Amino acid sequence: MKKYLFLFIASLFLASAAFAADSQIWDAMRVQNILGYGQEGSYKLGQLFTMLQANYFAQVYLAVLVGVPAIFVLHYLFLGPKVFSHDGKKIYTFSLLSRIIHQIAAISFIVLIPTGFIMMFGSSFGGGSFVIMMKDLHGLSTIAFGIIVIPMFLIWLKDMFLHWDDIKWLMIVGGYLSKTKKPVPAGKFNAGQKTWYWMATLGGMIMILTGAAMYFLDFNIAMINTMTGLSQIDLLRVSALLHAVVGLGVVILFFVHIYMAVFAIKGAINSIITGYKEEEEVEYLHSSWYKKLKKQGKI
Amino acid sequence: MSSEMSRMKFYCDDDRCIECDGCTVACAEAHELPTGVSRRKVVTLNEGIEGKEFSTSVACMHCTDAPCEQVCPVDCFYIREDGIVLHDKDICIGCGYCLYACPFGAPQFPRDGAFGTKGAMDKCTMCAGGPQETNSVHERELYGQNLIAEGKVPVCAAMCSTKALIVGDAQDVANIYRARIASKGKGVQSAPYGWSKAYGN
Amino acid sequence: MANTWGYGAMTNSLGDIQNAKAIIIFGANPAVNHPVGFQHFLKAKERNNAQIIVVDPRFTKTAAKADIYAQIRPGTDIPFMYGMLNIIFKNGWEDKEFISDRVYGIEDIRVEAAKWTPEKVSDVTGISVEKLMQITRVYAKSTPGTLIWAMGLTQHSIGSSNTRLAPILQLCLGNMGEEGGGTNILRGHDNVQGATDMCCLSHTLPGYYGLSAGSWKYFAKSWGVDYEWLAGRFKDKKMMSAKGFTLARWYAGVLAGKPGEDKIHNGGTNLKAIFVMGNGITSIAQQAKVKEALDNLELIVLADPFVNEAAILTDKQDDVFILPAATQFETSGSVTATNRSAQWRYQVVEPLYESKPDHEIMIEFSKRLGFHKEYTKGMLIKENKTSYKFPEDATDEIARIIKTIGLTGWTSKRLKNHTDNWHMFDEVSLRGHGPMKGEYYGLPWPCWTETHGGSPILYNIHRTVKEGGMGFRNRFGLEHDGQDLLAGAGSAPKDSANKDGYPEITAKNIEKVLGIKLTTDEKKRIGKNWKVDTSHIIANKCMEAGIAPYGNAKARAKVWTFPDQIPMHREPIHSPRQDLAKKYPSYKDKANHYRVDTKYISKQTEKDWSKEFPINLVTGRLVNLNGAGMENRASKYLAALTPEMFCDINPGLAANHGIRNGDMMWVHSPEGTKIKVKAKFSFSVPEDRVFLPFHYAGHFQGEDLSHKYPEGTKPYAVGESANTVTNYGYDIVTQIPETKGGLCRVEKA
Repeated sequence: MKKYLFLFIASLFLASAAFAADSQIWDAMRVQNILGYGQEGSYKLGQLFTMLQANYFAQVYLAVLVGVPAIFVLHYLFLGPKVFSHDGKKIYTFSLLSRIIHQIAAISFIVLIPTGFIMMFGSSFGGGSFVIMMKDLHGLSTIAFGIIVIPMFLIWLKDMFLHWDDIKWLMIVGGYLSKTKKPVPAGKFNAGQKTWYWMATLGGMIMILTGAAMYFLDFNIAMINTMTGLSQIDLLRVSALLHAVVGLGVVILFFVHIYMAVFAIKGAINSIITGYKEEEEVEYLHSSWYKKLKKQGKI
Repeated sequence: MSSEMSRMKFYCDDDRCIECDGCTVACAEAHELPTGVSRRKVVTLNEGIEGKEFSTSVACMHCTDAPCEQVCPVDCFYIREDGIVLHDKDICIGCGYCLYACPFGAPQFPRDGAFGTKGAMDKCTMCAGGPQETNSVHERELYGQNLIAEGKVPVCAAMCSTKALIVGDAQDVANIYRARIASKGKGVQSAPYGWSKAYGN
Repeated sequence: MANTWGYGAMTNSLGDIQNAKAIIIFGANPAVNHPVGFQHFLKAKERNNAQIIVVDPRFTKTAAKADIYAQIRPGTDIPFMYGMLNIIFKNGWEDKEFISDRVYGIEDIRVEAAKWTPEKVSDVTGISVEKLMQITRVYAKSTPGTLIWAMGLTQHSIGSSNTRLAPILQLCLGNMGEEGGGTNILRGHDNVQGATDMCCLSHTLPGYYGLSAGSWKYFAKSWGVDYEWLAGRFKDKKMMSAKGFTLARWYAGVLAGKPGEDKIHNGGTNLKAIFVMGNGITSIAQQAKVKEALDNLELIVLADPFVNEAAILTDKQDDVFILPAATQFETSGSVTATNRSAQWRYQVVEPLYESKPDHEIMIEFSKRLGFHKEYTKGMLIKENKTSYKFPEDATDEIARIIKTIGLTGWTSKRLKNHTDNWHMFDEVSLRGHGPMKGEYYGLPWPCWTETHGGSPILYNIHRTVKEGGMGFRNRFGLEHDGQDLLAGAGSAPKDSANKDGYPEITAKNIEKVLGIKLTTDEKKRIGKNWKVDTSHIIANKCMEAGIAPYGNAKARAKVWTFPDQIPMHREPIHSPRQDLAKKYPSYKDKANHYRVDTKYISKQTEKDWSKEFPINLVTGRLVNLNGAGMENRASKYLAALTPEMFCDINPGLAANHGIRNGDMMWVHSPEGTKIKVKAKFSFSVPEDRVFLPFHYAGHFQGEDLSHKYPEGTKPYAVGESANTVTNYGYDIVTQIPETKGGLCRVEKA
């Protein structure tokens, strides 16, 4: 039995390359996903996806969409933003290249995230051509992001490894839970930024790949199936699940990132436009880097 | 057919299906489908292996708790009173979620958009058309023929050469199935696959 | 078949298969070739617990539904059947009474069967002793059993022996003339039985009257034309009675005289023109020869609804005419099903564009060739009309003339009546009810008189002749080697005036056999014998007396006019088992075999073919395509199911040649030809054979001929024709090509 099953599956993989008139989703795999037939090898991803998509994803996203900004509002009202002097010296932090890359990413995210939400709550927008347009925009902006995600990953990689400071930073949540202004342990990038970096790049790449898989739907790369051991349809289901779960992280951190840059630290957004950070801001929020720069005599 | 609580169902008897593809071709021909779209398809497993080869014809099974309807982000699905699961192509955005949810690979996505984008989903309508005015040109273009409205049997089952594929009220279909099992006197299964068993309940 | 018991046709009906307790299928794949008819097999299994046994070189879709499957080596059906007979005789499972009353010559079969021990059979066929035993036991013990075959049994150099031994197996088990029994040969195309009955054959006049001067005279009289005028159309009277070329070898008539080609006997001339109506020339073996012949003709006329790919295959540029013929939906008339039932086909639409129905094309030709009057006179005779109505008058003409297979009852009126009321007939027994009571659907022939209800089961003596009963036909004389050839006492059809066997009825013996007296007037009007008695006196008197006009004789296991009197195993011309080819050599070469000298032993021993070509080659059909496929490949949705020509190859064999699934591969033939096809991995064939579907055309030996299609006529799917690599080899009696047991070599392209 096992031997036959193996032979059969092996022949299917080979067959998938050769007789691609139909994608395997609609071929033999079509039956394998019926539990009555293919229980043995099934990961039951169909049910999992149905259950989560039908009952949880939209609700959780809605909670994030409403809840996270609400927390920010409370934070802003009760703890208030960090204000640093904009009259002091400035420290050159972001090169032109890094700013261009960031801006492309920023624009694509500003398109990707709302369009993603619109698709998720498509029924509220009546579906049809408007949502399809949003879907196309979502796909198009992915191209922009896809182009810069690797350069972005590389230019900042060296600053993004875990440091002892990060643990300390996390212990005090970057000092954002107190009103007092005291130096926070962080290098050029603090633990929050690092988390966002990893989420935006690695998570972003997962989003691109899973999104592309769903977008191209019946692409036919037998190698992926062989490597993962997943049938095409299960690969798509995994993609949909990952896209939703990782997307959630991306969205939350994106909101945080916006809040920090625009509201929580007054004027912080200028640094990614001009490349210069306020010295006072660096002194407090990136104290380790500040000390290092001082030591090197760069300030 | 009893007027109340009747639910239209398909059932394919693997013992009778011989992979003649009559259903597939009849469906494609009747609804003038693009060649990449198989609303109905015959699938053979373990081909050429003695004692293991079997074929079955798969399409939308018009599930009672249709998973596609549950996951659709734009709520384009609707279930008729007789249980036929249909959808509105003018609302569908072609996201593919219904395909991921479907245990039968029923939803099809013609690649007619620019850059290979998927157009609106297409699937078996049990020859019952769509939300447009019955037998209108618009309905026909989007969903194919509406034979149910004319009191006819869906083309696939009508064409089935060995009467493996049967369609009708769930109770009637179950009776035919039971009669066949009984006359064989062996291999009794509790219910045909697919209706409630698709996801193993 | 005809040489065993009188008629060469399916004995029972598809519906009757539902009555079977066991179904053994040799070289047929009804699940693919007769998908609708196959429901009766499945119902037999479902309702009757019938055991389906499939004997086939390939694990077909039919095999997938079988209870027992035997993967036989191509061309070894005779050893397999003798193996079964060996076990049957050894265990005494044969129907002794049936044999002694109704069969002649079984003793010789017993002697030959004794030589085929299960061990020996196993060596030759590749089927294990246990499986042979199991099959034989199941089949012999589950009666009635029906035996099915198709091209897998006939397309061999020993095809005519295969088709004799299968009936003998059924005779030994007493399965003939029984509901759920019989030899059910499945006809491959729409109306093939009708085409055969109407003599789309080169060796006989319509209704199997043969080509003797007497037959010609009967037809001359029936057509209302002068015999001498008819004879004048031929070179001489000898050629008038000479068998013509067969479809399988017509090319030899063109190519004769070229080096290496077979000699012909064609009145001193080669063939110069070909007129093709609805035949896929590309479905004939040895396509390279066919191409060469087409290239050398002076005139090619092709009348088909779609472009006949003969026009694509040939390099000939001038004098190739393609005539648009109408399809079956654009014309009407009677068609005959595999079980000898007729059905009226009504026109659905008027012929599209310039297309014309086949008969119009032929009638127009007859006008231009100057014999329109003689050509159509037969339709006017009966009622002395001045103009004919086609096809009704043609159908009635057939009913008036054809007595041999009992078409008297097939008047256009009755046939239409059956088709209009088809819902009043039972699918299993074919019996009508209500207004159609007493008739069987489609009046399966022999339908002796204009009121006879047809004969759904041939040779059934449990029914009266009026209800379709009959014994075996008296066709081979009254005695042989001093033994009586008439049926034994008590084996006459039910309620017969004559309980014994009796000869075929003639004007001379009618009074004696039927025990009646004819009036003087009757004596004056009666025809010479039942085959030419257009007065219907013989038929009517026979019905009254419960006598079958063709007699009541024994079936014969021995055909003394054949090269092998009893069926003998002979290895295919191209055999992978050279040791067995020496032991069971092919026939002596045959001169003037349908006008062509045909090679047997000289071809088989030319060299050890298996050295260079070790792989068995089997061809066959796909469910979505038919014949040469020109019609179906022009259908978008049918072509989409198999868009490319392929070769089913076992992954093990493919691995030995470095071929991966989906790779292009070459298949080389001993004929020196080759085709380039896509490899398709399949476990349906073992490692010593490959399978090719034969429906493709448009490529030739690696060359794409697509550019040759007239604009807008290229089918959705084109590909290499399997018949480019099928081997030389023809049946010794019928000259059917040996496409089910050739050799080839495969290689990665």
